[in-house]
Amino acid sequence: MSTTRRRAVATAAVALAGSLLLASCGGSDSGSSDGKTLKLWHYEGPDSAMGVAWNEAIKEFEAKHPGVKVKFEEKGFEQIQKTAPMVLNSNDAPDIMEYNKGNATAGLLSKQGLLTDLTAEATQRGWDKKLSAGVRTTSQYDTGGVMGSGKWYGVPNYAEYTMVFYNKDLFKQYGIAEPTTLDQLTAAMDTFVSKGITPLANAGAEYMAQQYLYQLALSKADRSWVDKYELYKGKTDFHDAAWTYAATTFADWVKKGYISKKSTSLKAEDAGVSFIQGKSPILFSGSWWYGRFQTENKFDWGTFLWPGSNLTLGSGGNLWVVPKGAKNKDLAYDFIDITMSQKIQNLLGNKGGVPVGADTAAITDPKAKTLIADFNTLSGKDGLAFYPDWPVAGFYDVLVSETQKLITGSEKPDAYLSALQTAYDKGAPKT
Amino acid sequence: MTVTVERDGRVVRRQRSRTDRPRRPHSSYALFLLPGVLAFLAVIVVPFLMNTGVSFTDWQGVGSPKWSGLANYRELMDDSEFWASFRHSLFMVVAMAAVPTVLGLVLAAALFDFVGKHFGTKVAAVLRACFYLPQVLPIAVAGIVWSWILAPDNGSLNALLKAVGLGSLQRDWLGDPDLALYSVMGVMVWVQIGFPLVVFMAGLQRVDPQLYEAAELDGAGWWRRFGHITLPQIRPEIYVVLLWCTIAALKVFGAVYVLTKGGPGGATDVPSYFSFTTFFEKTQVGYGAAISTVLTVIILVLALIGLKLQTRAEDAEEGLRA
Repeated sequence: MSTTRRRAVATAAVALAGSLLLASCGGSDSGSSDGKTLKLWHYEGPDSAMGVAWNEAIKEFEAKHPGVKVKFEEKGFEQIQKTAPMVLNSNDAPDIMEYNKGNATAGLLSKQGLLTDLTAEATQRGWDKKLSAGVRTTSQYDTGGVMGSGKWYGVPNYAEYTMVFYNKDLFKQYGIAEPTTLDQLTAAMDTFVSKGITPLANAGAEYMAQQYLYQLALSKADRSWVDKYELYKGKTDFHDAAWTYAATTFADWVKKGYISKKSTSLKAEDAGVSFIQGKSPILFSGSWWYGRFQTENKFDWGTFLWPGSNLTLGSGGNLWVVPKGAKNKDLAYDFIDITMSQKIQNLLGNKGGVPVGADTAAITDPKAKTLIADFNTLSGKDGLAFYPDWPVAGFYDVLVSETQKLITGSEKPDAYLSALQTAYDKGAPKT
Repeated sequence: MTVTVERDGRVVRRQRSRTDRPRRPHSSYALFLLPGVLAFLAVIVVPFLMNTGVSFTDWQGVGSPKWSGLANYRELMDDSEFWASFRHSLFMVVAMAAVPTVLGLVLAAALFDFVGKHFGTKVAAVLRACFYLPQVLPIAVAGIVWSWILAPDNGSLNALLKAVGLGSLQRDWLGDPDLALYSVMGVMVWVQIGFPLVVFMAGLQRVDPQLYEAAELDGAGWWRRFGHITLPQIRPEIYVVLLWCTIAALKVFGAVYVLTKGGPGGATDVPSYFSFTTFFEKTQVGYGAAISTVLTVIILVLALIGLKLQTRAEDAEEGLRA
């Protein structure tokens, strides 16, 4: 090979290698700061209540901002959850993004200075007035990233809460009236068990099992108990009366056949499908199932709040956050404002979501009316108690894993509670 | 290759080192390796070193990492969940390396020696493709299908057992902590079996048929021929398969993620999944990095030992032939 050719080959090789290296380092686009583009990410399915409402909000935003284009990218929940810190540290951050609420998520990002302080906008645009105290909790984070006080780092446009979904046809078939007390609910479950039907749909491999458990604890708890657990305003003792009642009752319900021992490996989808197929007469879960049940249930069904409890699982929905490095923050604020408008909120409500600022008279669907009325009752009595996995990063997996042991009977309630205590104490901020 | 040299008046034999080799005439071709080397550095070496660096910190993935020295490694030594996940890895080595290698050997020999001869090579090729099919399927798809098959209430395995009158054998295959690991192992045997089978069948192509004919004339049965001809002849392939599959078993992730998410109660957790949850769910990035660093080192050590053993065996074989 001649020296010239060799040099040429060498140059080409180095150029190729250099470009490979550059590519691997991520040739990020520098983002648009022209005021002509709003880069928006969210992870709501296009057919969900939120997806429909946000799409309408995009249209309205473009109509109100001639010459501005919304560059929407649909992301997955997991995708945003796992990569948000890295993305927000880069030049690829969007102008506005939907993000999960709670200490380990939005709280962590706010603590690290990756989110924009929205306090001034929230007051000036009146968002703070539209959100009830329980819903607002997940918007504000203190300097330690703990929710409930401090600056506004996110705005939820909808809410969510858990309720008992029940198959009215099956209840009627076995002569059971809608339960209004826990005793009546227990009696109803006994009837189903006696007929060879496992009454409660459950999913041990995902959130559903831990939500039954947390609801049982909440039925013996009050706001200060929740504040201790979720906001670290005091010491949480997993061997207290509420947690002990929850763990022993749950284990007892498995023994009695209210909850199937075979539900350990099931996912939330399996439990939902079991309810939709009419195999399980009762499912306790969140309002996110509502729209789907409305579409897919082939039987008469209804809902009621967990009997005998002032508190239930629930909170404001996921948050709109504005990354610190967003290029078009004013456009982002305008977009949030539109999603908070009554028109979009009413649309959300009519599609089976739980709006935070809808005109109840404008909600036409009777089931949606019940859903929103129940939420208003709950919100009015400050009954949103958040979710059990929020206080500590990674607690979700601990709860799944430990509750599975409770279902299989491989762990006794006392040991179960001790395991939760250890994981909680390890992860909660040291006071 | 050995050479004889004189040292301190003694004649010694030593391995010829690579530097002793004559310089190749086209050493400038090494330039073509440059892109590959740089890509290797960018995609493997640099991230590994960064990961190792992160493992010495207490970091949540955002903000500034705080140097914590060996704290993560010390914690790892006492972490019973980590060691439990490692024990499960050993089960995975059985399911993904040992069992498929043994079954693959027997099946390859049977397809090559029996099916191929009596039913034709086309039939053997079709059967080989069938066994290989799970390797082609994305693990996420295979995992979802198996989770339907193994579902406790309406899964096809339980339905089949009931249909054939074996209802008493119905189990919650993925939900029973005593069974879940074995169920995942079963799925992994199914996934893996095609790989050794294909490699061994390729290996059998190069075995001199006269050896089999001679043995057959001497009255050796199928098992005897398998033990005395097939096994020794395809030893290099066996080493490769065992090494490859052991490494795959140690870093298995997808199947556990789709089938059980490490459950029930951690019964099927493996180091890579444990690292993933620590890294992303618990946002203990430093600790997660320590787990993956340890895992990488273990895999590297095992790979090097495997390669060394293989080279030694090949050298010994060459020595025997010489």
